Amino acid sequence: MIAPFFAVVKKELASVIRDRTIIISILIQLFIASFSSALLLGMLSLYDSDTIMNFGGAGIKIGVVNSSDNTLASLMSERGLTVIQYATLTEAQAAFFNNEVSAVVDTPVDANGITEIKLYLPDMDAISSLIRMVIQEPLKQYENYLRGQKGIEVRYTDLKGKPSTSYEFVYSVLIPMLMFFPAFVSGSMSVDSLTEEVENKTLQTLLSTPLSINGMVSAKILASVILSFVQAVAWIALLQMNDIVIQNTGWILLLAAIIAGITSTAAMLGAVMLQDRERSQFIYSLLLLAGAGISTLLNTSPITALSRLAIGDAYTSGWNVAVFAVFLAALYFLLAKMSRRLLA
Amino acid sequence: MNQILVIAWREVTRLRKRFGGGASPLAVVALLVVLGLSAYYLRDTVSLGSGLYRVGVSGDVPAISDSRFAVMEVDAEQGQTLLEQKVIDVFIDGSQVYSRADDKSQFAVRALKQYMEKQELIRVGNSFANADAFPLRVAINYLGAAEQAAAQNDAGGALPITTPEEVIIPSLTPPPAPFTQVLVALLYIMPITFISIFFTSSFMDEKMNRRLTILLSAPVTPFQIIFGKMLPYAIFALASTVLIAALTKTNILLALAIFAPTTLFIFAIYLMVPLFYRTFKDTTFIAMLVTTLTTAYLVFPAMFTNVNDLAYISPLALAVKMYRNEPFGWREYLFPSLPMAAIFGLAMFAGTRLLNEEFLMGYKPLTRKLSDAIYLMMAHSKPYIAVPLWSLITIPVVYMTQIVFLAFATNLPVGLILGFTLFASALIEEVVKTVGIVALAEHGAVKTWREIIGLSFLSALGFLIGEKLLLLVSISMVSQAPVAGALFGAGLLLFIPLIAHFVFSTIITVLRTKLRFPYWLALGIGTIVHFIYNVYVLRGGM
Repeated sequence: MIAPFFAVVKKELASVIRDRTIIISILIQLFIASFSSALLLGMLSLYDSDTIMNFGGAGIKIGVVNSSDNTLASLMSERGLTVIQYATLTEAQAAFFNNEVSAVVDTPVDANGITEIKLYLPDMDAISSLIRMVIQEPLKQYENYLRGQKGIEVRYTDLKGKPSTSYEFVYSVLIPMLMFFPAFVSGSMSVDSLTEEVENKTLQTLLSTPLSINGMVSAKILASVILSFVQAVAWIALLQMNDIVIQNTGWILLLAAIIAGITSTAAMLGAVMLQDRERSQFIYSLLLLAGAGISTLLNTSPITALSRLAIGDAYTSGWNVAVFAVFLAALYFLLAKMSRRLLA
Repeated sequence: MNQILVIAWREVTRLRKRFGGGASPLAVVALLVVLGLSAYYLRDTVSLGSGLYRVGVSGDVPAISDSRFAVMEVDAEQGQTLLEQKVIDVFIDGSQVYSRADDKSQFAVRALKQYMEKQELIRVGNSFANADAFPLRVAINYLGAAEQAAAQNDAGGALPITTPEEVIIPSLTPPPAPFTQVLVALLYIMPITFISIFFTSSFMDEKMNRRLTILLSAPVTPFQIIFGKMLPYAIFALASTVLIAALTKTNILLALAIFAPTTLFIFAIYLMVPLFYRTFKDTTFIAMLVTTLTTAYLVFPAMFTNVNDLAYISPLALAVKMYRNEPFGWREYLFPSLPMAAIFGLAMFAGTRLLNEEFLMGYKPLTRKLSDAIYLMMAHSKPYIAVPLWSLITIPVVYMTQIVFLAFATNLPVGLILGFTLFASALIEEVVKTVGIVALAEHGAVKTWREIIGLSFLSALGFLIGEKLLLLVSISMVSQAPVAGALFGAGLLLFIPLIAHFVFSTIITVLRTKLRFPYWLALGIGTIVHFIYNVYVLRGGM
């Protein structure tokens, strides 16, 4: 019983390696991972004013027209921008056209209790949006200052912290994606390997061997899960080589394997019922989308559980993983009941 | 035309049969549920990092309803202890916020700052008069170049203000990152991808039942078969575009104009799947690759809308502009649309050449299959026309691949980035220039030294013309794109690069066809020589 089971597992794995297309699949993941981190790098430098200020804030020169109230100018220098004062707007604009400053801020004017400021920017998308990004924070502070003068107190204005986009991206998108993407592929693979046997009419031959129908289906699932597990291990190793700290790696890998088991079993369930590739794959992709949607309704979705495990959250442990194992067991039990349909 | 319609109708019948009966209500219900849920899911993922931070609150603190924060009520003393034990990342006691010095806590503080800023604005806006709550207006004027200023000074002294004044309230101005619009634009792509999966399955089905063989022996051309099969799905895809445009209340015609080339592009790519697959698992992996690549190609550039003009590589950038009610011109429209239409044309051509039984049914290694495909595409005309034409029309593909390599390279240590990019660029250029000649030689279409060297020259010529054309186009269209310049701008003298390209391709083709080196080795040698040349040029040697 055991030997034929592993013979099927071995056959499935060998065929995947022979076809070479698995290499493509792994390349894609490498591609997404590196592309998204390249994107992240770009994003940080383009959309995060802190990063812009760190790299070249002092190089951004803002011309300010003198006035009695110099609050905005001092807020801008506090932020790290180079502020140059001019006596009149005409002088400031002349400096702008001589490329001495990249932008000009005119004197604040009071109009019926509302302060108005004119801002002059160059007509070039890239530069003007850069300036608008770095000037946003001082303008907001100035707005709060004006609110304060009207007796409106805004709370929590002194918070600083560090830019968190990169951290959030790595732990809540990148790591879950790298761990779960192989699982999604393994579901598709299970559908393929069963429907191919059905459509090529090799299933009956396979069933004439000393292997039960459940054994055959389980062997195919196990092969997919093994493949996805191997990929997950490789990703964890790669991430750690890139100095990304990952806690609870054991639980994380177990969770990844359980999710691969769930997707493969669910996919197989569809394939057993429909027995052709087109509909099974379609239903599987729908199930996947629905599953992802429903899981966000859970108190701890697989993605949340995974990112919390990775950052070493105090309240997340193996119990959060066990919940999904129970679900997998239930799903597998259902499949074992349904797989008899293949014989019909 | 009639034939195309007949095939198209047959396709609709096939779908009806497959999803008719028991499966169809199931599918419809499932589809509806999924659409609802995925909309919910998408809305939720707009903010990254669900449940990432743990926050302890005590006293009068506004309710924190942001999926990033898991909030728990604690008393003041307990809060401090938990913070020190690293159980929570931030502790808020009334209007006072406590944090630790480590990164995790500091990240949480920044995320909290962004959230609190918004909440405070809502509170201030609700409890005070508008003029008091938002007491600042910033009027933004864009000034043209200095020359314009001088000209206008002579004319009347007015400032060269290029666009009408834009008035903003700083605290209510959305961040420039177009994430939300990109997500909305992505909604258009999802149904198109789903629909094209059925298009792929249709070919696979026919291949499975050997009905394609019968169809091919009927008096219809491969073009009619492909086009007829594509037609119903293309109509579904366009209908979904219209539907989404109507639901999101935007200009339907504009949305159609933006997404029609994209639809063609996606169908073009999915047409390749049934042509190249050998086993079912192949299809899964190839389709996965295709989906990822197209999504990445469409989404990532669009994230940089309004920041870098290179964003216009993706039509989603146009969609973002559309949703922001910002105008764009013909140049911006054609920049993404033309290459996509061109790729569709190329794919249709490849499809008509490859749609024959021998090619479809053979189980061969992927590389063999690719080589056969290239041969079939080239064999339609004389090699001396086909080879330079191939080098010329694959330039956009080369360009895209090089940008992808650049993205890969940013993960490497700084010192290696330039070297890796140069080497990878040289490699892809050499592949494109020589693969056609090698495929022709392997099928015995070219044999003599003269033919091989002559073709290498023509290939280099075709490539160089294409490269310079692209350089011209990218200089005129994307003036601010340094990538194009860095990758393609080496040397304005045309003669030396032509000779250089010619020498590299000759090395590879001669090594492979005459000296029987394995292709990877010949390619490696040619690429190394090319790389050395690139480094030499870059060092200012020429």
